[in-house]
Amino acid sequence: MATEKMLTGCAAAAQGAKFAEVEVICSYPIRPYTAIMMELAKMVANGELDAEFVHGEGEHAQLSVVLGASAAGARAYTGSSGVGVAYAFEVYSPMSGGRYPVQMAIADRALDPPGDFGSEHTDAMSTRDQGWLMGWACSPQEVFDNTLMAYRIGEDPRVLLPQMVCQDGYFVSHIPDKVVLPDVSQVKEFLPPYNPPHPLDPRKPYSHGPQIRPDQGAPMDAQRASAFLEVPKVIKEVTEEFNRIFGRNYDPFLEKYKLDDAEIAFFIQGAHANTCRKVVDKLRSSGVKAGMCRLRWVRPWPTHEIAEALAGIKAVGTIETSTSYGGAMRGGNLIHELRATLYDLPDNERPLVTSFMAGLGGETIWPKDFMYMAEVLSNMVKENRTKKYVYWIGLEPEE
Amino acid sequence: MGSITEIIVWTRGVVMDKEGRDVMNGIAQAAILDGKFADAFDDYEDLPDRVLVPVRKYARVSDEEIEHKYIYYPEVVDISIVVEPALVKGMNVLKGLREGGLLLVNTKYPIEYIMKFIPNADVLGGIATVDAEAITGGKRVVDFSGTEGGVDAVGIGVGLSAPILGALARVSGIVKKESLARVVQNVSAMERGYNEVNFQKLNKTHHALSWSI
Repeated sequence: MATEKMLTGCAAAAQGAKFAEVEVICSYPIRPYTAIMMELAKMVANGELDAEFVHGEGEHAQLSVVLGASAAGARAYTGSSGVGVAYAFEVYSPMSGGRYPVQMAIADRALDPPGDFGSEHTDAMSTRDQGWLMGWACSPQEVFDNTLMAYRIGEDPRVLLPQMVCQDGYFVSHIPDKVVLPDVSQVKEFLPPYNPPHPLDPRKPYSHGPQIRPDQGAPMDAQRASAFLEVPKVIKEVTEEFNRIFGRNYDPFLEKYKLDDAEIAFFIQGAHANTCRKVVDKLRSSGVKAGMCRLRWVRPWPTHEIAEALAGIKAVGTIETSTSYGGAMRGGNLIHELRATLYDLPDNERPLVTSFMAGLGGETIWPKDFMYMAEVLSNMVKENRTKKYVYWIGLEPEE
Repeated sequence: MGSITEIIVWTRGVVMDKEGRDVMNGIAQAAILDGKFADAFDDYEDLPDRVLVPVRKYARVSDEEIEHKYIYYPEVVDISIVVEPALVKGMNVLKGLREGGLLLVNTKYPIEYIMKFIPNADVLGGIATVDAEAITGGKRVVDFSGTEGGVDAVGIGVGLSAPILGALARVSGIVKKESLARVVQNVSAMERGYNEVNFQKLNKTHHALSWSI
């Protein structure tokens, strides 16, 4: 029977891994994701979860251990935060290139310097082009749900790719919220056991990850890229099935909040969407036609869905919880892809786009900050131009 | 969202961290049983805690759904609870306290003695003490399962936190004793705290809190 519990995002992720019956777990401590491993360690020790629990000697080792486990056919699970995500970097490409559908839970943390425990998406966003599926949750419930969905999508024979299930550190990872845990039978219906096509097995030997010649590189890259062409289809199917079995109402790619008749819209990922939603309500009640578009997946980037959702809106502001120093727009990451996504819209439907650097270093984005952003967007509509590409929230000079 | 009661819990790292956490979680869980909305969370920046360092924890109780929950700490506080009494000597335990708020201290000393260490006591609406050490025989649980967003494996209110929670219920009525009885492990210690709390009403009036003692 389904039960409702108050759980943090960390505890919800661990529950997700438990319901997915992961077989190999590799841990290494770093805040704020640590409690995911604390919870899983307890479950393994209590006999609630039958899994091999390995203590890695660092994040690079963590990823290497689960790569090996996945190559041998196990459903493998690991995770990290902040500089830990960075330390594991070498293994991201071998993981996706070898088509190992391991899952990595990430509770975001700012990169150094200086040491900062706060949530910031730069850690995971820095790895976004390494061939992993990657998406953000905005509540402990969504963390749990995404854990199950990501395994199902990643292990689909059309996909076979590793997944990062990201949540904002502290805001989601440490603050408890209501989580409905399903009945085991629902999970059994949704998530079949992992069936690897070519597991390592001494009785039927295969080579994984051998050295290749340069002329073999391009075809392999092309294969990995073409796998991503299949992914949106699979995400759509799997989300629909998840909604049916678990009684949820997820849009596969985007949370479209009051977008239909919106004139201005926030484009956002992660936990700050919860505050944003309330501000949209407030703006609506004062007559401002505001909306919010929340990314559930960053990889694959839902190009067509975004273009469709934002076509006709007059001004869009991305909320950048990660940095892209020296990038095309000199601010965050989302604005680059959003502008590229909207480029082919007809002139009369293409929104003006700017970006807001907010929630960096783990700073709270307050309702008043979203109100300020709404004012900037409304002024863009009024003047029919993008005055600036980047606004640093809280650091802008008074106009 | 104007009706949130913000509570800060002051305790010591590691040795009394669990008792402090039990106070914050006990408040939130009892409030939810009362039909209210509540959050409880550690001060993210005070953790991971070191032995004996001052650490803060928070609970928030509201009649309406708490809309903005993504905060590290409340900007104002209505009730300050001091689990380890010596902290009144070194810390400004009334920092951010709203006028007319409550200070509740776990101590064997009389209220007048504690007041000597509170230079800014003129902001208070009331002060309460409870001798949780005596009631529980000094029992304190040291356990790390519930830290860092983990799930507590021991249960709330085995030690010192039970009488402190009882005392809070009696003085402020922010949670009901009956709900606490369903939350804490040591119900009789909670009830003794409820019955044995000392309280002194002070000059200032709080905009929302009233004293039920």
